[in-house]
Amino acid sequence: MPRETAPSLNEKLFFQKALEENLRIDGRAFDQFRALELEFGDEYGVADVRLGKTRIHTHISAQVTAPLPEKPFDGLFTLTTELSPMASPAFEVSRPTPTELLLSRLLEKTIRRSQALDTESLCLLAGQKVWAVRADVHVLSHDGNLVDAASIAVIAALQHFRRPDVSVEGESVVVFGLEEREPVPLSMLHFPLCVTFSFYDLGGGAGEEEGEMRVLIDATSSEEMLRDGGCTVGMNRHGEVCQIAKLGGVPVDAVVLLNCIAVAGQKVREISDFVKGRLESDRKKRDKGGWMEELRAENDRVS
Amino acid sequence: MAITILAPAPAIIPYQAESSPDDSDDGGVDLQGDVSMRPAKRARHSREIITPGEIITDDAQWMRGHGTYVAASSSEIIATVAGTVQKTNKLLSVRPLRARYTPEIGDLVVGRIIEVQSKRWRVDVGAPVLANLPLSAINLPGGILRRRTETDELQIRTFFSEGDLLVAEVQALYQDGSASLHTRSLKYGKLRNGVFMSVSGVGGGGGVVRARRQVWTIDTAHGGGKVDVILGVNGYIWISKHVEVTGGEAAITRIEESVSSTVYSSQNDAIERETRREMARIGGVIQLLVTEGLRVDEDMVMKGYEAAVEVDNLNTGESNAYLSVEKGQEVLKLLRGI
Amino acid sequence: MPLDTSSYSLALLRLDGRRWNELRRLTAQISTQASADGSSYLEMGNTKVICTVSGPSEQKAAGSDRGERDKAGVRVEISVAGFSGVERKRRGRNDKRINEMATTISSAFQTNLFTNLFPHSTITLSLHLLSSDGSVLAALLNASTLALIDAGIPMKDYICACTAGSTSSYSSNDESADPLLDLNAQEELELPFLTVATLGGSDSVSVLVMETKVQVGRLEGMLAVGVDGCKQVREVLDEVVRERGSRILEGTKL
Repeated sequence: MPRETAPSLNEKLFFQKALEENLRIDGRAFDQFRALELEFGDEYGVADVRLGKTRIHTHISAQVTAPLPEKPFDGLFTLTTELSPMASPAFEVSRPTPTELLLSRLLEKTIRRSQALDTESLCLLAGQKVWAVRADVHVLSHDGNLVDAASIAVIAALQHFRRPDVSVEGESVVVFGLEEREPVPLSMLHFPLCVTFSFYDLGGGAGEEEGEMRVLIDATSSEEMLRDGGCTVGMNRHGEVCQIAKLGGVPVDAVVLLNCIAVAGQKVREISDFVKGRLESDRKKRDKGGWMEELRAENDRVS
Repeated sequence: MAITILAPAPAIIPYQAESSPDDSDDGGVDLQGDVSMRPAKRARHSREIITPGEIITDDAQWMRGHGTYVAASSSEIIATVAGTVQKTNKLLSVRPLRARYTPEIGDLVVGRIIEVQSKRWRVDVGAPVLANLPLSAINLPGGILRRRTETDELQIRTFFSEGDLLVAEVQALYQDGSASLHTRSLKYGKLRNGVFMSVSGVGGGGGVVRARRQVWTIDTAHGGGKVDVILGVNGYIWISKHVEVTGGEAAITRIEESVSSTVYSSQNDAIERETRREMARIGGVIQLLVTEGLRVDEDMVMKGYEAAVEVDNLNTGESNAYLSVEKGQEVLKLLRGI
Repeated sequence: MPLDTSSYSLALLRLDGRRWNELRRLTAQISTQASADGSSYLEMGNTKVICTVSGPSEQKAAGSDRGERDKAGVRVEISVAGFSGVERKRRGRNDKRINEMATTISSAFQTNLFTNLFPHSTITLSLHLLSSDGSVLAALLNASTLALIDAGIPMKDYICACTAGSTSSYSSNDESADPLLDLNAQEELELPFLTVATLGGSDSVSVLVMETKVQVGRLEGMLAVGVDGCKQVREVLDEVVRERGSRILEGTKL
């Protein structure tokens, strides 16, 4: 079974010494994200997020199906994640690793369970026809901090997505093609994002000294392998915490954790603004002046 | 039918200390100073329970032993297991109430072969890792002093194969805590003619304790003949019919012949019904001692066995070796009366 | 079915009659299973859990959580009894929620236990949820701690867990909302809550899981109440261990 090669003892000591001097291997500040890039595809609902060398591609799609019998008024929203050997040789097809399990669970909790997408608005005919929205998260390259990058990708893609317009008359539902009617955006209630903290205990493993704890944001995969514990906070820009997951690892003082949550709130606002800006510029690029512009003869030919 | 919900029965309240004089031969030599319950040791052995995370002392004069740790940048010694504090000179350690067996050199253990490799066996002795028994550490047929040959390597399964039980001594310990065994004595070797029992191991509480004698022969009642009991320090116990070594003790020069003929045999001898019954009784007594949290050693087993026979004699009807709950209580009463 | 939580503000009593800072009845026994190296049975209210520990022992089965060369691995298996909840449900082996809990418990104890004392071996925790009425992860963690102590595996300190919630739902912004301690299943459905596990009597948080939406301002109060609850839980667990220990010592006096 291919495994990720564990860092050697020397690498580990080098890294720890650097942390003691308040330095990271790549020279970033402790609470600094790597360069964040967000691109949208030609289609609606395709987002490509790059966070340093981590790259995540998300695709949103929608189709009409029957609702679940226990929830006749709710549309469906599914999130699927895929970690293929393409992202890192440590991943295998059809064998979920703990990384994949945690990734899909955290996204699920942050975005789906917190009702980011208003599933009730996806209902067409109660008990018979609803929209099923599906978000496919593909990890193209793994260099740490998958959860944060994936949450950005999913939230950006959901905001970018347009579903076909429909008209309901009695029992009949007509779905219009993208050419026939302007497609409509999804109704989102809020935009939660994840921020992951990595904890490094420099106090010799006893965990008694609070001062000896280092907290990093946006760890690379080598930093993730060396960490003693992690904590993922899901928040939206209004200061609502959607989920917290500190799943074991080194014990951290409660005050430090509360501090992390405050930092997370600030980071989430920054990233939200960034995503908003990108969405805006993408919309401008697409919108060249409405239908009249498009119908003009001197319109650019699409070759 | 109405469903009734039974409240969980409270566990049987154990024997309350009636300050019974514990004068069980403490004139003897304590092997490795490890027999905790001897009165001579009590002075150094606290009766108070320490639980994980509890600070034992912050005095820097003490050294930390097993079952403790020292937090970074402080001199506090903190317990890591639940048990009693033991002080050996300046060494503080906590003996756990119950723990898996950790091998020590010189321990007599009963083990089971788990795996056969080309030059060694892997033996389960109840420790965190399997123990090794190298081919070079057993008595080869045809004399103790014979060199190990390739033929022996090919025939490794004729000595011990998977599932076989053996009694051995811990010869050496490796860095990772695993043990290397040897059976280079006539006392050791393959086990047959009996039953295996496993009781959970050593600690401040009950179970098998390291004692002067781990192996002895009981002259049983009711015509059962002689029965051997081997108390492995690891909590594995073997009760078997006693087999006289042919030729007796005198024929020390003829050891090699007996080695070749019987030591690696996998055939049981004929065992009488009476012997089997008494073996069952001994097993019952040991089981009783364990469930009551009492220590299992020669003295206790002998007293327990005598009490069990006595209780059985009081009963009318056919002798019955099975130690039922009621009979077990009576045996305990007798034991406490002593 | 929405639960009527409005009655709380009238008498400051919860549905089961507890005040905001009261734990449910917490009882436990250790050494319940004879064949295991360590075992425990724990009840937090109506949540009932059995835990057995086997090992540390050398395991042949290869897996990602197999013991490494220089320390022991901690493997956790959780089985949820079909009759544990109100609805009889069959859960597959691949229930992600259960697997996440198993990973959490494994990771929490991996750092708490002195695994370096048992090279290339595995400690297997087998947890059985018999009855579930809220605070499941907390009960599983507490039962694991007890069983590991019973097995005599060295650890830094108890890991004690409990849940804490808040009477305000996330939408309402009322300032008088109280934090609540140790929620049952009904309250968990309705209110925001978090599960917190601390190391011993300290404020160090080993596990913190929250799956519901809550205003960031509420969090501090919830966390404080949770950490405080963990200290209470520690006292109870410690009492269980001490009682068991003194009984064993009594017994050996014979």
